[in-house]
Amino acid sequence: MEILVSDLRLNYGAEQPGLAGVDLRLARGEQVAIIGPSGAGKTSLLRCLATALRASSGTLQLDTRDPWRLGREDLRVLRSRIGTIHQAPPLPPRQRVVTATLAGRLGVWPIWKSLLSLIAPQDIAGARAALQRLDLTDKLFERCDQVSGGQLQRVGIARVLYQAPALILADEPVSALDPALADHTLAVLCDDARQRGATLIASLHAVDLARARFSRIVGVRDGRIAFDKSAGEVSEGDLTALYASERVTPGSPPALTSALPRVSATGLPCC
Amino acid sequence: MLLSRDSRDPAAAGRLIGCMLVLALAWPIGKVAQVDPAALLDPANLKVAGGFVASFWPLAHDTFFLGLLRDAVLQTLAIATVGTLLALLIAIPLAVGSTAALSVSAIGPAPRAIWRPAVRQAVKALTLFLRGIPELVWALLFVRVFGLGPSAAVLALALTYGGMLAKVFAEILDSVDRGPARAILAAGGSRTAALVYGLLPNAVPELVSYSIYRWECALRAAVVMGLVGAGGMGQLMDQSMKAFNGGEVASILTAFLLLVLAADALSNLLRRWMDAPPDALHKRIVSGWVLALAGALVCVSAWRMIGLDLGALFGAHAGSDIARFLGEFLPPAHDLPLLGKIASGSLETLATSLVGTVLAACLAAVLALPAAGRCGAVLKAITRFALNLLRAVPELVWATITVLAVGLGPFAGALALALHTCGVLGRLYAEALENAPPAGEAALRTSGAPRSLAFLYGALPQVAPQWLAYTLYRWEINIRMAAVMGFVGAGGLGQALYYELSLFRLGNACAIILAMLLLALLVDHASAMLRWRLG
Repeated sequence: MEILVSDLRLNYGAEQPGLAGVDLRLARGEQVAIIGPSGAGKTSLLRCLATALRASSGTLQLDTRDPWRLGREDLRVLRSRIGTIHQAPPLPPRQRVVTATLAGRLGVWPIWKSLLSLIAPQDIAGARAALQRLDLTDKLFERCDQVSGGQLQRVGIARVLYQAPALILADEPVSALDPALADHTLAVLCDDARQRGATLIASLHAVDLARARFSRIVGVRDGRIAFDKSAGEVSEGDLTALYASERVTPGSPPALTSALPRVSATGLPCC
Repeated sequence: MLLSRDSRDPAAAGRLIGCMLVLALAWPIGKVAQVDPAALLDPANLKVAGGFVASFWPLAHDTFFLGLLRDAVLQTLAIATVGTLLALLIAIPLAVGSTAALSVSAIGPAPRAIWRPAVRQAVKALTLFLRGIPELVWALLFVRVFGLGPSAAVLALALTYGGMLAKVFAEILDSVDRGPARAILAAGGSRTAALVYGLLPNAVPELVSYSIYRWECALRAAVVMGLVGAGGMGQLMDQSMKAFNGGEVASILTAFLLLVLAADALSNLLRRWMDAPPDALHKRIVSGWVLALAGALVCVSAWRMIGLDLGALFGAHAGSDIARFLGEFLPPAHDLPLLGKIASGSLETLATSLVGTVLAACLAAVLALPAAGRCGAVLKAITRFALNLLRAVPELVWATITVLAVGLGPFAGALALALHTCGVLGRLYAEALENAPPAGEAALRTSGAPRSLAFLYGALPQVAPQWLAYTLYRWEINIRMAAVMGFVGAGGLGQALYYELSLFRLGNACAIILAMLLLALLVDHASAMLRWRLG
């Protein structure tokens, strides 16, 4: 999916600026990592792109069409081509992993199939294949409240893999995973997007992971694009400026001091 | 379709069997409950019920009737107040006797005490017995002892609500922090000291709050008991109903709804007053003492109004009178024809409660969506009002109307249960929906799922356990209601009991009451098991 964003603004209120004029252009099949400090507006930007939030002003075009000018049914069809991975996947605790995964295609399936699938899962093989790529096959028939936080986050990813959308929006997709698993999971996601020619935008806390897996990196700070460069061009200076805090004494930012990707403790998905 | 072993769902067999079982049971249950939707549309029935409902307007408002109505309203209030007071007198010792929080042996090794736990179990059994028999059955019995009038209702309330309050009080005492009480017991303090200084300070707000809530319920129960002749608005309504005077019935119903609304508001106000945070205490307009004084005044005047002669109840003669009356109930009859009648009555009652609860759950699920504000503010207000109306009218009052609509029999009872229960469940369902986190459904909507499917996949699984628990809990209540529904001609065990009591065959009546108790216990167990299995 092709994305064009220009001067996108989102007002949350006086004390918390959402987005203060964002310009971004992505070609079909491009992969971009978004980095930036907490509260910079990464999630807001992703939610605007997912058409879950409507920006206060500015233009958003997905495949050269403004989603907010579409009719109800057209918007629904467009949305079924967008897959969002949430930091804390909003899966009902008592739903089974197989059903939660299959729910990815509710926008495509005919109604009768979706209804039947509530009682008897309609594409067990498909769900199994999606989970297999994330090493979760043995959790297929478990309930969502019976798997760990990291496994649940991967179930959320499996749902999007199964959905096979033209645009993948991943908000901290690997925050609850250990470094090695995070790298592997991100690789699976990138490969999937590459094979299908899907566009992928992932916000990441772990700067090293972003530099290792993505060719293009966008830094977001205070609701604006701070820099938009290829991974090789991003300098230490860029990162220091991006993460510099007014409250914490200036020094090397936390994301750079550790060689390993940081696992956010507060972002653990809770079921 | 040939499924490879790889893609077989381990839950499929269980679900298939479950569905088949439900389908296989639905037919006989419907048959026993005499479900007959066509009766709803039968022209003759429509004419009777329609004509009756049409005669509701204009409301009866002549001075004589309004005077009667005012007296009945006051009497109903008095019945509820005195009944709750007596229930408290019964409940407090029972609750203290059965709570485990005051167990000395629980704090550590103690000299072997067998009789203390035995007393606790005996008290628990007595509580179970008291609340197991519906107040309406007690009322029906007492009307035959004390004659028509409010005394029967007061005593019936005292017994059943005494049991209910005792159970909940004991649960509250068990659930508050036991630390302070244990510390006092461990330091050699008496049970009284542990209760007063250890348990009560934490438990009192909840105890009072629940008592107020029960008073509100007692008000409804007082009206219903009047239908079997135990005074108050119910008795007036029964008379108007038998005279087929729609205007009077409508006036009484209106007065009843207003009374229930007022009681609801008052109890909310009182509970909010009690829940005020400590730092807002000095801001209260009325102090606790003024409220307590007002409460005491109300209680005393209610007591005088009922004119209950407790002396006579405990007098020298009364003892032997009651003993003789109770003696006539024993032993319960157990001849074969009666047992057959009880079996078929139990089946009918069970089927009525099932059909009523399932119908109510389906209706409530449909109404809960607009009531949770999913279809706009206007529809929300309208459905909320409708649900409140359905809920405010007691099952037995609904039954007097549904009996007109579909004729005598269990189907009328099931419909009446469904109407009232749907009001209760609809509101609970809607609250559960509103409190559920919206993220799951929103996420599905943004990935293109249609509204209905996003709800089914994202929201329903989150509220389903709660909905199910509420439904099963209502089923436990409905089996008790279905058992007494027969008093107004809606089939089941109630009809048989009414018949036997009218003929003063008390042995037979005793057997039927025992069957009611057993049935209620059976359903409690089934419901608990289902909840455990599905929980």
